[in-house]
Amino acid sequence: MSDRVFSLILLPTLECNADCEYCFEHKSDHRLTLDQFAAILEKVAAYLESENIGTLSIYWQGGEVMTLPPEWFEHADDLILRRMEGTGKQVVNYLQSNMIGYTHRWNRVIAEMFGNSVGTSMDFPNLHRRLAGSGPREYERVWIRKVNEAREAGIQVGFIAIPNQGTLEMGAERFYSRIVDELGIGEFQINTPFPGGPSNQVKDGYPLDPDRLAGFLLDLAAAWMDRGYAAGVRVGPLDSLMNYFFTGHKDIPCIWRDNCVNEFVCIDPLGHVSQCDCWAASYPEYRFGNIFDSAALSEILRASEARRRLLERPGALIPREDCIDCDYLGICHGGCPVRAYTVHGNILAKDPYCRLYRGLFAGLEGIAAQRHRHRTGG
Amino acid sequence: MPVTDTITYSIPVSLTDAYRGHKTIVRTHDASEITTKFSDAIPEGLCHIRLLSLDGDIEHLKNWAPGVPIDLAIREPRRELPLLYRYAPLLSAHPLRVSVPLVPGFGAVVRLAASLNFAVKVEGGQPDQALTGEMLQIVGYYLHRTTVTEPIEFFHSLFLSFYHRDPLTLWTIQEEDPSLVRYVTDSGEETMTGRLAERETNQGFSSFMQELQDEIATGKGECAGCGFLMNCLGYFKWPRREYPCNGIKALMGVMLDAAGELRRDVASFQPRSEGEPS
Repeated sequence: MSDRVFSLILLPTLECNADCEYCFEHKSDHRLTLDQFAAILEKVAAYLESENIGTLSIYWQGGEVMTLPPEWFEHADDLILRRMEGTGKQVVNYLQSNMIGYTHRWNRVIAEMFGNSVGTSMDFPNLHRRLAGSGPREYERVWIRKVNEAREAGIQVGFIAIPNQGTLEMGAERFYSRIVDELGIGEFQINTPFPGGPSNQVKDGYPLDPDRLAGFLLDLAAAWMDRGYAAGVRVGPLDSLMNYFFTGHKDIPCIWRDNCVNEFVCIDPLGHVSQCDCWAASYPEYRFGNIFDSAALSEILRASEARRRLLERPGALIPREDCIDCDYLGICHGGCPVRAYTVHGNILAKDPYCRLYRGLFAGLEGIAAQRHRHRTGG
Repeated sequence: MPVTDTITYSIPVSLTDAYRGHKTIVRTHDASEITTKFSDAIPEGLCHIRLLSLDGDIEHLKNWAPGVPIDLAIREPRRELPLLYRYAPLLSAHPLRVSVPLVPGFGAVVRLAASLNFAVKVEGGQPDQALTGEMLQIVGYYLHRTTVTEPIEFFHSLFLSFYHRDPLTLWTIQEEDPSLVRYVTDSGEETMTGRLAERETNQGFSSFMQELQDEIATGKGECAGCGFLMNCLGYFKWPRREYPCNGIKALMGVMLDAAGELRRDVASFQPRSEGEPS
């Protein structure tokens, strides 16, 4: 079997049970029917075959996936197993949910389809995540209850946190304690906020100050290295960057890979194919095509002008920005196109968090070197 | 039958049948010529493919002959720099090397190629003062950046040679030793390779290096007292014998010092005894 992997970010619904102020999606009540899912699966399977790809990773996201019933996913899983039987292809499913709709009815499908693991999201302090008609505090209360229920059922819960001004004021030490010591969560990831989708007052404050955010993340790295690293706590992307500086192994988030366009696509419930969920619902000008209207996924990817522009992005921006002389070009490549687009209106600009990344990379490289010296007695 | 040649022939794709049974580097401007020609079987003795143009369609290389190394020959660093990104997805199927001529702008290609995890080979000699400065910067980048994980030649092999005190010559490192590598023109004529290809000579291929060594050893030029002679063997005195090597010697001095520093570091390293906390 080929060891090539293709990732599909699949949005089976754009419906959501939350009303977060910084959401980059245009929400709607569109849902994928199982027949439509089977049609998508057929074209994705044909693509795997034509490209000699051995593994398909499906990242199930929304909208909010748990606005669909768990039985829908059980049927979808059956369709996947039946379609892939005898092909020699492997499918790995990942679930990303806000967990607000979680009940024990999800346990079976989470165990059987998703390896008993869920990715969720929460911020500390929670300023912007809310349920319709209520405030952030209520959202956090429900989220903690649901996450605890899931963990009691043996489900492994990892989560993504988006820092805000309150996070920076709270400080890394308190932030780390809240998550690891008080909530008992041993795996989380920090993502940077960007002003995707319709603008509002919250998004007008993005991007956050890169120097303050770099300082926060380096303080967080110090707390994690002191207290959690040896105990197996995982803090993304600090863990993958630290691993890179220790071993040279590049298993880093999509925003820093040489070109995300080579690695995944996103399909929404209307069949629109785009680069990722950040583009899908809010930027129709960057859609690649529609899977229901095309004979083949490969044809959409080959013919798309928007995809061609994204493919050419790093090669085009590196010479015109200061990236070529950057010590960290190999783990950044100009950063994330959607962050550049939502801030600068131009994908050929570098990621607006460039200064944050440089500060973070240099700081972590220093920590890695220090630990190397300590370990070797140098 | 296994290929036991000591000589590697750099040949155009059109001459592959004539060189079956030999070690070969097969070159082409068009990758589809390779995938068409070798669609059924890869000839025994094929060392690598050398792509002479980066502009063509490369989709079919993704699933062709996994493991066969590909050498991307850059001719215009500034124009071709962005094209390197197109080749990054091939790394999952092929070892990739970028060969870049020693001309202004080569350093940017080296940095980007290394950032994409491609091996690199810098080709050519006799750089002017500005280029020597650019080379010194790249040597520093190669020696000290933790993000560099692939070899950058000729620096890498030369550094290892200094480190191990093994007098490997630049002619060998740069695949230009005529006793080891021959260039076969598109019309089938066997010549010397690289910068020696234009040379008009009656000398035999195999005797060239010996005669060059003799000439340098008996001469009174800059090479006579040079501490790097065993590694260089006049590499930078070709084709102009009067080329001043002070910049090159400074560069080699930096590498020699770094190799010595590393050797001392390794010698002083005491592994922790068992049970000692890390």
